[in-house]
Amino acid sequence: MHHHHRSAAIAKKLLLRSSFFSSAKQIAPAPPLCCRFRFISSEPPFSHHQTPNHFNHPSPNTNTYTDSSSTPPPPQPPRARPTPTPTPTYEEEQARVLAASLHHVIRLGWSEAAMIAGARDVSVSPSIVGSIPRKEAALVEYFMDHCFQKLVDTIDSDDDSQFKDLVPSERIANLIKLRLQMQAPYISKWPQALSIQAQPSNISTSFKQRAMLVDEFCHASNDEATGVDWYLKRSIVGGIYSSTEIYMLTDNSTDFDDTWAFLNERVRDAFDLKKTFQEVKYFAEAVGAGFSSSFQGFTKKGC
Amino acid sequence: MSVTMIARRLGSKLLPRFAPAATLHSHATSFGFKEVNEEEKSQLVGNVFTKVASNYDIMNDLMSGGLHRLWKDRLVSKLTPFPGMKHLDVAGGTGDVAFRILETINSGRAMDDTLEDNLQEETQIYVWLGNLGSLVWVEGDAEKLTFNDDSMDGYTIAFGIRNVTHIEKVLAEAYRVLKRGGRFLCLELSHVDTPIFKQLYDYYSFSVIPVVGELVAGDRDSYQYLVESVRRFPRQEVFASMIADAGFQQVEYENLVGGVVAIHSGLKI
Repeated sequence: MHHHHRSAAIAKKLLLRSSFFSSAKQIAPAPPLCCRFRFISSEPPFSHHQTPNHFNHPSPNTNTYTDSSSTPPPPQPPRARPTPTPTPTYEEEQARVLAASLHHVIRLGWSEAAMIAGARDVSVSPSIVGSIPRKEAALVEYFMDHCFQKLVDTIDSDDDSQFKDLVPSERIANLIKLRLQMQAPYISKWPQALSIQAQPSNISTSFKQRAMLVDEFCHASNDEATGVDWYLKRSIVGGIYSSTEIYMLTDNSTDFDDTWAFLNERVRDAFDLKKTFQEVKYFAEAVGAGFSSSFQGFTKKGC
Repeated sequence: MSVTMIARRLGSKLLPRFAPAATLHSHATSFGFKEVNEEEKSQLVGNVFTKVASNYDIMNDLMSGGLHRLWKDRLVSKLTPFPGMKHLDVAGGTGDVAFRILETINSGRAMDDTLEDNLQEETQIYVWLGNLGSLVWVEGDAEKLTFNDDSMDGYTIAFGIRNVTHIEKVLAEAYRVLKRGGRFLCLELSHVDTPIFKQLYDYYSFSVIPVVGELVAGDRDSYQYLVESVRRFPRQEVFASMIADAGFQQVEYENLVGGVVAIHSGLKI
Protein backbone atom coordinates (compact mmCIF):
# COMPACT_ATOMS: atom_id res chain seq x y z
CA MET A 1 0.00 0.00 0.00
CA HIS A 2 2.82 2.27 0.90
CA HIS A 3 4.33 1.60 -2.49
CA HIS A 4 1.23 2.71 -4.31
CA HIS A 5 1.17 5.94 -2.37
CA ARG A 6 4.72 6.62 -3.29
CA SER A 7 4.13 5.87 -6.94
CA ALA A 8 1.21 8.22 -6.99
CA ALA A 9 3.20 10.94 -5.27
CA ILE A 10 6.06 10.55 -7.69
CA ALA A 11 3.72 10.50 -10.65
CA LYS A 12 2.19 13.70 -9.36
CA LYS A 13 5.61 15.34 -9.03
CA LEU A 14 6.51 14.31 -12.56
CA LEU A 15 3.26 15.67 -13.88
CA LEU A 16 3.88 19.07 -12.35
CA ARG A 17 6.79 19.46 -14.71
CA SER A 18 5.17 20.97 -17.70
CA SER A 19 7.18 20.95 -20.86
CA PHE A 20 4.74 22.94 -22.95
CA PHE A 21 5.90 26.51 -22.37
CA SER A 22 6.18 28.53 -25.55
CA SER A 23 4.73 31.67 -27.00
CA ALA A 24 1.88 29.57 -28.34
CA LYS A 25 -1.28 29.82 -26.31
CA GLN A 26 -2.95 26.53 -25.61
CA ILE A 27 -6.62 26.10 -25.43
CA ALA A 28 -6.51 23.10 -23.13
CA PRO A 29 -3.98 22.86 -20.32
CA ALA A 30 -1.59 20.16 -21.37
CA PRO A 31 0.07 18.00 -18.77
CA PRO A 32 3.58 16.91 -19.70
CA LEU A 33 3.69 14.29 -22.28
CA CYS A 34 5.82 11.57 -20.82
CA CYS A 35 3.55 10.03 -18.29
CA ARG A 36 2.42 6.48 -18.59
CA PHE A 37 1.91 5.52 -15.03
CA ARG A 38 -0.87 3.52 -13.57
CA PHE A 39 -2.07 6.20 -11.22
CA ILE A 40 -2.51 9.63 -12.62
CA SER A 41 -3.80 12.66 -10.85
CA SER A 42 -2.93 15.70 -12.84
CA GLU A 43 -2.84 19.28 -11.70
CA PRO A 44 -3.34 22.00 -14.23
CA PRO A 45 -0.42 24.25 -15.05
CA PHE A 46 -2.91 27.09 -15.43
CA SER A 47 -4.96 27.44 -12.32
CA HIS A 48 -8.05 28.97 -13.81
CA HIS A 49 -8.98 25.93 -15.87
CA GLN A 50 -10.61 22.81 -14.58
CA THR A 51 -8.45 19.77 -14.20
CA PRO A 52 -8.60 17.34 -17.07
CA ASN A 53 -7.91 13.80 -16.03
CA HIS A 54 -7.00 11.30 -18.63
CA PHE A 55 -7.66 7.70 -19.25
CA ASN A 56 -4.61 5.59 -19.44
CA HIS A 57 -4.68 2.26 -21.22
CA PRO A 58 -8.03 2.71 -22.90
CA SER A 59 -9.48 -0.71 -23.42
CA PRO A 60 -12.21 -1.17 -25.98
CA ASN A 61 -15.02 -3.49 -25.01
CA THR A 62 -14.66 -6.58 -27.10
CA ASN A 63 -17.01 -9.48 -26.84
CA THR A 64 -15.75 -12.60 -28.49
CA TYR A 65 -18.23 -15.26 -29.32
CA THR A 66 -17.03 -18.64 -30.50
CA ASP A 67 -19.14 -19.91 -33.33
CA SER A 68 -18.45 -23.55 -32.59
CA SER A 69 -20.06 -23.52 -29.18
CA SER A 70 -23.67 -24.50 -29.10
CA THR A 71 -24.46 -22.75 -25.85
CA PRO A 72 -25.41 -19.13 -26.10
CA PRO A 73 -22.74 -16.67 -24.96
CA PRO A 74 -22.85 -15.79 -21.28
CA PRO A 75 -24.93 -12.73 -20.56
CA GLN A 76 -23.00 -9.58 -19.94
CA PRO A 77 -23.22 -8.30 -16.40
CA PRO A 78 -25.75 -5.52 -16.22
CA ARG A 79 -24.24 -2.10 -16.38
CA ALA A 80 -25.64 1.22 -15.44
CA ARG A 81 -24.69 2.61 -18.83
CA PRO A 82 -22.62 1.21 -21.67
CA THR A 83 -19.03 2.38 -21.57
CA PRO A 84 -18.00 3.69 -24.99
CA THR A 85 -14.50 3.20 -26.33
CA PRO A 86 -12.63 6.23 -25.12
CA THR A 87 -10.66 8.06 -27.77
CA PRO A 88 -7.01 8.17 -26.83
CA THR A 89 -5.71 11.59 -25.97
CA TYR A 90 -2.94 13.13 -27.93
CA GLU A 91 -0.54 12.85 -25.01
CA GLU A 92 -1.01 9.12 -25.00
CA GLU A 93 -0.44 8.88 -28.71
CA GLN A 94 2.65 11.01 -28.47
CA ALA A 95 3.91 8.86 -25.61
CA ARG A 96 3.30 5.75 -27.70
CA VAL A 97 5.23 7.25 -30.58
CA LEU A 98 8.11 8.14 -28.26
CA ALA A 99 8.13 4.67 -26.77
CA ALA A 100 8.29 3.13 -30.23
CA SER A 101 11.00 5.60 -31.25
CA LEU A 102 13.32 4.32 -28.55
CA HIS A 103 13.86 1.16 -30.56
CA HIS A 104 15.29 3.22 -33.39
CA VAL A 105 17.52 5.44 -31.30
CA ILE A 106 20.41 3.01 -31.42
CA ARG A 107 20.58 3.34 -35.17
CA LEU A 108 19.31 6.84 -35.80
CA GLY A 109 20.26 8.68 -32.65
CA TRP A 110 18.06 10.95 -30.56
CA SER A 111 16.64 12.65 -33.59
CA GLU A 112 13.49 13.36 -35.51
CA ALA A 113 14.41 10.48 -37.82
CA ALA A 114 14.03 8.05 -34.94
CA MET A 115 10.71 9.63 -34.06
CA ILE A 116 9.42 9.37 -37.61
CA ALA A 117 10.39 5.70 -37.65
CA GLY A 118 8.65 5.27 -34.31
CA ALA A 119 5.52 6.93 -35.62
CA ARG A 120 5.49 4.59 -38.60
CA ASP A 121 5.81 1.62 -36.25
CA VAL A 122 2.72 2.68 -34.34
CA SER A 123 0.88 3.36 -37.63
CA VAL A 124 0.42 7.04 -36.89
CA SER A 125 1.27 9.68 -39.45
CA PRO A 126 4.80 11.04 -38.93
CA SER A 127 3.28 14.52 -38.92
CA ILE A 128 2.66 13.95 -35.24
CA VAL A 129 6.34 14.55 -34.67
CA GLY A 130 5.80 18.14 -35.72
CA SER A 131 3.29 18.57 -32.91
CA ILE A 132 5.70 17.42 -30.20
CA PRO A 133 7.40 20.48 -28.76
CA ARG A 134 11.22 20.37 -28.55
CA LYS A 135 11.25 17.15 -30.44
CA GLU A 136 14.51 15.40 -29.62
CA ALA A 137 14.48 16.74 -26.10
CA ALA A 138 11.03 15.24 -25.61
CA LEU A 139 12.41 11.86 -26.62
CA VAL A 140 15.34 12.10 -24.21
CA GLU A 141 13.09 13.27 -21.40
CA TYR A 142 10.68 10.45 -22.07
CA PHE A 143 13.53 8.00 -21.79
CA MET A 144 14.72 9.55 -18.53
CA ASP A 145 11.22 9.35 -17.07
CA HIS A 146 10.87 5.79 -18.29
CA CYS A 147 14.11 4.75 -16.58
CA PHE A 148 13.14 6.61 -13.44
CA GLN A 149 9.86 4.77 -13.24
CA LYS A 150 11.60 1.45 -13.76
CA LEU A 151 13.97 2.33 -10.93
CA VAL A 152 11.12 3.22 -8.60
CA ASP A 153 9.31 0.03 -9.45
CA THR A 154 12.41 -2.03 -8.78
CA ILE A 155 12.96 -0.37 -5.42
CA ASP A 156 9.34 -0.72 -4.42
CA SER A 157 9.12 -4.35 -5.38
CA ASP A 158 12.30 -5.25 -3.60
CA ASP A 159 11.15 -8.70 -2.65
CA ASP A 160 14.48 -10.37 -2.26
CA SER A 161 15.69 -7.57 -0.08
CA GLN A 162 18.38 -6.91 -2.60
CA PHE A 163 18.95 -3.53 -1.12
CA LYS A 164 17.76 -3.64 2.41
CA ASP A 165 20.52 -5.91 3.60
CA LEU A 166 23.30 -3.70 2.40
CA VAL A 167 25.03 -0.90 4.16
CA PRO A 168 24.09 2.58 2.87
CA SER A 169 27.22 3.02 0.81
CA GLU A 170 26.73 -0.25 -0.99
CA ARG A 171 23.05 0.45 -1.42
CA ILE A 172 23.68 3.73 -3.18
CA ALA A 173 26.34 2.14 -5.36
CA ASN A 174 23.94 -0.62 -6.36
CA LEU A 175 21.14 1.80 -7.13
CA ILE A 176 23.34 3.97 -9.30
CA LYS A 177 24.62 0.88 -11.06
CA LEU A 178 21.08 -0.32 -11.63
CA ARG A 179 20.04 3.00 -13.12
CA LEU A 180 23.08 3.33 -15.35
CA GLN A 181 22.64 -0.16 -16.69
CA MET A 182 19.34 0.97 -18.16
CA GLN A 183 21.31 3.38 -20.31
CA ALA A 184 23.83 0.75 -21.39
CA PRO A 185 22.08 -0.23 -24.65
CA TYR A 186 22.06 3.41 -25.78
CA ILE A 187 25.58 4.20 -24.72
CA SER A 188 26.79 4.80 -28.26
CA LYS A 189 24.27 7.63 -28.64
CA TRP A 190 24.30 8.81 -25.05
CA PRO A 191 26.73 11.72 -25.63
CA GLN A 192 24.14 13.13 -28.01
CA ALA A 193 21.48 12.78 -25.34
CA LEU A 194 23.68 14.60 -22.84
CA SER A 195 24.29 17.43 -25.26
CA ILE A 196 20.56 17.72 -25.92
CA GLN A 197 19.90 17.89 -22.19
CA ALA A 198 22.51 20.58 -21.78
CA GLN A 199 20.90 22.95 -24.28
CA PRO A 200 19.49 26.10 -22.66
CA SER A 201 15.87 25.38 -23.55
CA ASN A 202 16.08 21.89 -22.12
CA ILE A 203 18.32 22.32 -19.16
CA SER A 204 15.65 23.19 -16.62
CA THR A 205 13.69 20.02 -17.30
CA SER A 206 16.77 17.82 -17.33
CA PHE A 207 17.94 19.39 -14.10
CA LYS A 208 14.62 18.62 -12.43
CA GLN A 209 14.71 15.05 -13.69
CA ARG A 210 18.19 14.55 -12.32
CA ALA A 211 17.26 16.15 -9.03
CA MET A 212 14.36 13.73 -8.64
CA LEU A 213 16.64 10.85 -9.51
CA VAL A 214 19.20 11.83 -6.91
CA ASP A 215 16.43 12.37 -4.38
CA GLU A 216 15.25 8.85 -5.07
CA PHE A 217 18.72 7.44 -4.55
CA CYS A 218 19.09 9.16 -1.23
CA HIS A 219 15.58 8.33 -0.11
CA ALA A 220 16.00 4.67 -0.96
CA SER A 221 19.13 4.48 1.13
CA ASN A 222 17.18 5.75 4.11
CA ASP A 223 18.90 9.00 4.37
CA GLU A 224 18.21 10.80 7.62
CA ALA A 225 20.07 13.94 6.81
CA THR A 226 18.59 17.20 7.96
CA GLY A 227 19.40 20.80 7.27
CA VAL A 228 22.58 21.41 5.35
CA ASP A 229 23.32 17.70 5.28
CA TRP A 230 20.28 17.11 3.05
CA TYR A 231 21.69 19.35 0.32
CA LEU A 232 25.20 18.15 0.91
CA LYS A 233 24.31 14.51 0.53
CA ARG A 234 22.29 15.10 -2.60
CA SER A 235 24.94 17.16 -4.25
CA ILE A 236 27.53 14.52 -3.48
CA VAL A 237 25.37 11.72 -4.83
CA GLY A 238 24.57 13.86 -7.86
CA GLY A 239 28.23 14.38 -8.46
CA ILE A 240 28.94 10.66 -8.17
CA TYR A 241 26.14 9.86 -10.59
CA SER A 242 27.20 12.40 -13.19
CA SER A 243 30.86 11.47 -13.07
CA THR A 244 30.06 7.78 -13.36
CA GLU A 245 27.72 8.48 -16.25
CA ILE A 246 30.43 10.32 -18.11
CA TYR A 247 33.04 7.69 -17.28
CA MET A 248 30.72 5.11 -18.78
CA LEU A 249 30.80 6.90 -22.12
CA THR A 250 34.41 5.95 -22.73
CA ASP A 251 34.45 2.62 -20.98
CA ASN A 252 35.15 -0.29 -23.30
CA SER A 253 35.50 -3.05 -20.73
CA THR A 254 33.14 -6.00 -20.81
CA ASP A 255 29.86 -5.28 -19.05
CA PHE A 256 31.26 -1.94 -17.97
CA ASP A 257 33.26 -3.51 -15.15
CA ASP A 258 35.63 -0.56 -15.03
CA THR A 259 32.71 1.78 -14.56
CA TRP A 260 31.40 -0.12 -11.55
CA ALA A 261 34.87 -0.19 -10.04
CA PHE A 262 35.06 3.57 -10.56
CA LEU A 263 31.64 3.95 -8.97
CA ASN A 264 32.58 1.97 -5.90
CA GLU A 265 35.73 4.04 -5.46
CA ARG A 266 33.76 7.29 -5.63
CA VAL A 267 31.14 6.09 -3.19
CA ARG A 268 33.82 5.03 -0.74
CA ASP A 269 35.55 8.36 -1.07
CA ALA A 270 32.30 10.14 -0.46
CA PHE A 271 31.56 8.29 2.71
CA ASP A 272 35.04 9.00 3.93
CA LEU A 273 34.42 12.59 2.99
CA LYS A 274 31.23 12.56 5.00
CA LYS A 275 33.18 11.58 8.07
CA THR A 276 35.68 14.26 7.26
CA PHE A 277 32.92 16.84 6.98
CA GLN A 278 31.51 15.84 10.32
CA GLU A 279 34.90 16.09 11.89
CA VAL A 280 35.35 19.51 10.35
CA LYS A 281 31.98 20.55 11.71
CA TYR A 282 32.82 19.45 15.26
CA PHE A 283 36.19 21.10 15.01
CA ALA A 284 34.60 24.35 13.88
CA GLU A 285 32.12 24.20 16.72
CA ALA A 286 34.90 23.58 19.20
CA VAL A 287 36.90 26.47 17.85
CA GLY A 288 33.88 28.69 17.97
CA ALA A 289 33.19 27.74 21.57
CA GLY A 290 36.77 28.45 22.42
CA PHE A 291 36.66 31.85 20.80
CA SER A 292 33.49 32.93 22.53
CA SER A 293 34.75 31.96 25.95
CA SER A 294 38.07 33.77 25.45
CA PHE A 295 36.21 36.76 24.03
CA GLN A 296 33.99 36.92 27.09
CA GLY A 297 37.04 36.73 29.27
CA PHE A 298 38.64 39.50 27.26
CA THR A 299 35.67 41.79 27.48
CA LYS A 300 35.30 41.19 31.20
CA LYS A 301 38.89 42.05 31.81
CA GLY A 302 39.41 45.02 29.63
CA CYS A 303 36.82 47.49 30.73
CA MET B 1 -6.30 2.71 -3.93
CA SER B 2 -8.41 3.86 -6.83
CA VAL B 3 -8.19 7.15 -8.55
CA THR B 4 -11.23 8.44 -10.36
CA MET B 5 -10.45 9.26 -13.91
CA ILE B 6 -12.64 11.41 -16.02
CA ALA B 7 -12.18 11.51 -19.77
CA ARG B 8 -12.29 15.01 -21.08
CA ARG B 9 -13.24 16.05 -24.53
CA LEU B 10 -10.87 18.85 -25.34
CA GLY B 11 -12.28 22.19 -26.12
CA SER B 12 -15.85 21.41 -25.30
CA LYS B 13 -16.18 23.05 -21.92
CA LEU B 14 -13.07 25.09 -21.62
CA LEU B 15 -13.79 28.42 -23.17
CA PRO B 16 -16.48 30.95 -22.50
CA ARG B 17 -18.62 30.03 -25.42
CA PHE B 18 -20.46 33.03 -26.54
CA ALA B 19 -22.76 31.20 -28.92
CA PRO B 20 -20.44 29.99 -31.68
CA ALA B 21 -23.51 28.86 -33.56
CA ALA B 22 -24.44 32.49 -33.92
CA THR B 23 -20.90 33.33 -34.95
CA LEU B 24 -20.94 30.63 -37.59
CA HIS B 25 -24.23 31.79 -38.94
CA SER B 26 -23.10 35.35 -39.02
CA HIS B 27 -19.93 34.35 -40.83
CA ALA B 28 -21.88 32.44 -43.43
CA THR B 29 -23.99 35.44 -44.22
CA SER B 30 -21.45 38.19 -43.87
CA PHE B 31 -19.62 39.70 -46.77
CA GLY B 32 -17.34 42.13 -45.04
CA PHE B 33 -19.62 44.34 -43.01
CA LYS B 34 -22.56 43.73 -45.37
CA GLU B 35 -25.16 41.04 -44.86
CA VAL B 36 -25.85 38.72 -47.79
CA ASN B 37 -27.59 35.42 -48.41
CA GLU B 38 -25.56 32.27 -47.82
CA GLU B 39 -25.98 31.18 -51.42
CA GLU B 40 -24.67 34.47 -52.71
CA LYS B 41 -21.61 34.62 -50.54
CA SER B 42 -19.45 32.15 -52.44
CA GLN B 43 -20.34 33.90 -55.68
CA LEU B 44 -19.40 37.30 -54.30
CA VAL B 45 -16.14 36.02 -52.87
CA GLY B 46 -15.35 34.38 -56.18
CA ASN B 47 -15.89 37.69 -57.92
CA VAL B 48 -13.56 39.43 -55.51
CA PHE B 49 -10.78 36.98 -56.16
CA THR B 50 -11.22 37.04 -59.90
CA LYS B 51 -10.68 40.75 -59.74
CA VAL B 52 -7.65 40.70 -57.44
CA ALA B 53 -5.94 37.74 -59.04
CA SER B 54 -3.89 39.71 -61.50
CA ASN B 55 -2.28 41.94 -58.89
CA TYR B 56 -2.39 39.41 -56.07
CA ASP B 57 1.31 39.07 -55.40
CA ILE B 58 2.23 42.68 -55.54
CA MET B 59 -0.70 43.65 -53.36
CA ASN B 60 0.31 41.07 -50.79
CA ASP B 61 3.76 42.54 -50.68
CA LEU B 62 2.50 46.08 -50.40
CA MET B 63 -0.09 45.40 -47.75
CA SER B 64 2.09 43.33 -45.49
CA GLY B 65 5.37 45.04 -46.25
CA GLY B 66 6.80 41.76 -47.49
CA LEU B 67 6.05 40.10 -44.17
CA HIS B 68 3.70 37.56 -45.70
CA ARG B 69 6.72 35.60 -46.89
CA LEU B 70 7.99 35.29 -43.34
CA TRP B 71 4.56 34.26 -42.12
CA LYS B 72 4.40 31.50 -44.68
CA ASP B 73 7.92 30.42 -43.79
CA ARG B 74 6.83 30.18 -40.17
CA LEU B 75 3.79 28.14 -41.15
CA VAL B 76 5.87 25.63 -43.06
CA SER B 77 8.46 25.36 -40.31
CA LYS B 78 5.71 24.62 -37.81
CA LEU B 79 4.44 21.93 -40.12
CA THR B 80 7.87 20.22 -40.18
CA PRO B 81 7.41 18.43 -43.49
CA PHE B 82 9.08 15.11 -44.19
CA PRO B 83 9.86 13.28 -47.41
CA GLY B 84 7.09 11.00 -48.52
CA MET B 85 4.37 13.07 -46.92
CA LYS B 86 1.04 13.61 -48.54
CA HIS B 87 0.05 17.17 -47.99
CA LEU B 88 -2.96 19.20 -48.91
CA ASP B 89 -2.79 22.93 -49.21
CA VAL B 90 -6.20 24.50 -49.57
CA ALA B 91 -6.94 27.83 -51.18
CA GLY B 92 -3.33 27.79 -52.18
CA GLY B 93 -3.72 30.07 -55.15
CA THR B 94 -0.20 31.02 -56.04
CA GLY B 95 1.28 27.92 -54.48
CA ASP B 96 3.39 29.85 -51.97
CA VAL B 97 2.96 27.34 -49.18
CA ALA B 98 3.17 24.32 -51.45
CA PHE B 99 6.42 25.49 -53.00
CA ARG B 100 7.90 26.19 -49.60
CA ILE B 101 7.06 22.70 -48.40
CA LEU B 102 8.57 21.13 -51.48
CA GLU B 103 11.68 23.24 -51.13
CA THR B 104 12.11 22.32 -47.47
CA ILE B 105 11.96 18.65 -48.31
CA ASN B 106 14.24 18.81 -51.32
CA SER B 107 16.85 20.96 -49.69
CA GLY B 108 17.38 18.35 -47.01
CA ARG B 109 16.31 20.63 -44.22
CA ALA B 110 13.30 18.50 -43.49
CA MET B 111 13.42 15.82 -40.88
CA ASP B 112 13.57 12.48 -42.53
CA ASP B 113 14.51 8.91 -41.95
CA THR B 114 16.08 8.16 -45.31
CA LEU B 115 18.49 5.92 -43.50
CA GLU B 116 15.64 3.46 -43.59
CA ASP B 117 16.04 0.74 -46.13
CA ASN B 118 12.46 0.75 -47.31
CA LEU B 119 11.59 2.59 -50.44
CA GLN B 120 10.80 6.18 -49.87
CA GLU B 121 7.32 7.12 -50.95
CA GLU B 122 7.05 9.99 -53.28
CA THR B 123 6.08 13.22 -51.64
CA GLN B 124 2.78 14.45 -52.94
CA ILE B 125 1.43 17.87 -52.34
CA TYR B 126 -2.01 18.74 -53.52
CA VAL B 127 -3.04 22.30 -53.91
CA TRP B 128 -6.71 22.83 -53.66
CA LEU B 129 -8.20 25.88 -55.25
CA GLY B 130 -11.49 27.04 -53.94
CA ASN B 131 -13.60 29.11 -56.23
CA LEU B 132 -10.46 30.95 -57.23
CA GLY B 133 -10.16 29.65 -60.75
CA SER B 134 -7.17 30.09 -63.04
CA LEU B 135 -4.14 27.98 -62.01
CA VAL B 136 -3.19 24.28 -62.25
CA TRP B 137 -3.74 21.56 -59.70
CA VAL B 138 -7.05 20.47 -58.31
CA GLU B 139 -10.09 22.62 -58.34
CA GLY B 140 -13.21 22.31 -56.28
CA ASP B 141 -15.03 23.24 -53.13
CA ALA B 142 -13.17 23.23 -49.85
CA GLU B 143 -16.36 22.16 -48.12
CA LYS B 144 -16.45 18.98 -50.21
CA LEU B 145 -13.00 17.61 -50.82
CA THR B 146 -12.59 14.76 -53.26
CA PHE B 147 -9.93 12.94 -51.29
CA ASN B 148 -10.41 9.75 -49.35
CA ASP B 149 -10.71 9.64 -45.59
CA ASP B 150 -7.46 9.40 -43.67
CA SER B 151 -5.29 10.05 -46.67
CA MET B 152 -3.33 13.19 -45.84
CA ASP B 153 -0.45 13.77 -43.46
CA GLY B 154 -0.90 17.50 -43.39
CA TYR B 155 -3.46 20.13 -44.25
CA THR B 156 -2.69 23.81 -44.52
CA ILE B 157 -4.86 26.74 -45.38
CA ALA B 158 -3.16 30.10 -45.64
CA PHE B 159 -5.30 33.23 -45.81
CA GLY B 160 -8.18 31.22 -47.19
CA ILE B 161 -10.48 30.25 -44.38
CA ARG B 162 -11.71 33.76 -43.98
CA ASN B 163 -13.39 33.56 -47.35
CA VAL B 164 -15.28 30.30 -47.03
CA THR B 165 -18.99 30.31 -46.44
CA HIS B 166 -19.17 27.58 -43.82
CA ILE B 167 -16.09 27.37 -41.65
CA GLU B 168 -17.23 24.33 -39.75
CA LYS B 169 -17.70 22.33 -42.93
CA VAL B 170 -14.21 23.12 -44.08
CA LEU B 171 -12.88 22.09 -40.68
CA ALA B 172 -14.89 18.89 -40.76
CA GLU B 173 -13.55 18.08 -44.22
CA ALA B 174 -10.04 18.78 -43.03
CA TYR B 175 -10.59 16.39 -40.15
CA ARG B 176 -11.94 13.76 -42.49
CA VAL B 177 -9.07 13.67 -44.95
CA LEU B 178 -6.30 13.74 -42.35
CA LYS B 179 -4.67 10.56 -41.18
CA ARG B 180 -4.22 9.71 -37.54
CA GLY B 181 -1.40 11.91 -36.35
CA GLY B 182 -2.01 14.36 -39.18
CA ARG B 183 -1.86 18.04 -38.49
CA PHE B 184 -4.08 20.92 -39.46
CA LEU B 185 -2.49 24.33 -39.75
CA CYS B 186 -4.24 27.55 -40.57
CA LEU B 187 -2.58 30.90 -41.22
CA GLU B 188 -4.99 33.78 -41.13
CA LEU B 189 -5.32 37.43 -40.42
CA SER B 190 -6.71 37.80 -36.98
CA HIS B 191 -7.53 40.18 -34.16
CA VAL B 192 -5.20 42.58 -32.44
CA ASP B 193 -5.76 43.53 -28.83
CA THR B 194 -2.79 45.57 -27.67
CA PRO B 195 -4.18 49.08 -27.10
CA ILE B 196 -2.18 51.52 -29.19
CA PHE B 197 -1.11 49.07 -31.83
CA LYS B 198 -4.75 48.19 -32.38
CA GLN B 199 -5.61 51.76 -33.28
CA LEU B 200 -2.68 51.99 -35.64
CA TYR B 201 -3.62 48.73 -37.28
CA ASP B 202 -7.26 49.79 -37.68
CA TYR B 203 -6.20 53.06 -39.21
CA TYR B 204 -3.84 51.27 -41.56
CA SER B 205 -6.49 48.72 -42.53
CA PHE B 206 -9.33 51.07 -43.23
CA SER B 207 -7.57 54.15 -44.46
CA VAL B 208 -4.44 52.97 -46.19
CA ILE B 209 -5.18 49.59 -47.72
CA PRO B 210 -8.26 50.46 -49.79
CA VAL B 211 -6.43 53.51 -51.10
CA VAL B 212 -3.43 51.46 -52.11
CA GLY B 213 -5.82 48.99 -53.72
CA GLU B 214 -7.33 51.82 -55.67
CA LEU B 215 -3.97 53.10 -56.83
CA VAL B 216 -2.26 49.85 -57.65
CA ALA B 217 -5.08 47.54 -58.68
CA GLY B 218 -7.79 50.05 -59.50
CA ASP B 219 -10.17 48.25 -57.19
CA ARG B 220 -11.05 49.82 -53.88
CA ASP B 221 -14.07 47.63 -53.11
CA SER B 222 -12.27 44.32 -53.11
CA TYR B 223 -9.77 45.54 -50.60
CA GLN B 224 -12.49 47.08 -48.52
CA TYR B 225 -14.10 43.63 -48.46
CA LEU B 226 -10.77 42.15 -47.46
CA VAL B 227 -10.21 44.32 -44.42
CA GLU B 228 -13.84 44.06 -43.36
CA SER B 229 -13.80 40.27 -43.60
CA VAL B 230 -10.80 40.22 -41.29
CA ARG B 231 -12.83 42.06 -38.66
CA ARG B 232 -15.82 39.74 -39.08
CA PHE B 233 -13.76 36.59 -38.74
CA PRO B 234 -14.02 34.94 -35.30
CA ARG B 235 -11.43 35.76 -32.68
CA GLN B 236 -8.45 33.53 -32.06
CA GLU B 237 -9.96 31.73 -29.08
CA VAL B 238 -13.33 31.23 -30.75
CA PHE B 239 -11.78 29.90 -33.91
CA ALA B 240 -9.65 27.58 -31.82
CA SER B 241 -12.73 26.24 -30.09
CA MET B 242 -14.28 25.63 -33.51
CA ILE B 243 -11.24 23.64 -34.50
CA ALA B 244 -11.53 21.63 -31.30
CA ASP B 245 -15.21 21.04 -31.99
CA ALA B 246 -14.32 19.54 -35.35
CA GLY B 247 -12.48 16.86 -33.40
CA PHE B 248 -8.93 18.09 -33.35
CA GLN B 249 -6.79 17.80 -30.25
CA GLN B 250 -3.89 19.86 -28.99
CA VAL B 251 -5.41 22.97 -30.51
CA GLU B 252 -3.04 25.89 -30.19
CA TYR B 253 -2.61 29.25 -31.74
CA GLU B 254 0.40 31.50 -32.12
CA ASN B 255 0.05 35.22 -32.71
CA LEU B 256 2.48 36.84 -35.06
CA VAL B 257 2.97 40.59 -35.12
CA GLY B 258 0.88 41.01 -32.02
CA GLY B 259 -2.20 39.32 -33.48
CA VAL B 260 -2.25 40.70 -36.99
CA VAL B 261 -1.70 37.12 -38.11
CA ALA B 262 -2.39 33.94 -36.18
CA ILE B 263 -1.33 30.38 -36.91
CA HIS B 264 -3.81 27.87 -35.50
CA SER B 265 -2.79 24.25 -35.33
CA GLY B 266 -4.57 21.05 -34.44
CA LEU B 267 -3.76 17.38 -34.32
CA LYS B 268 -5.99 14.54 -35.41
CA ILE B 269 -5.81 11.47 -33.23
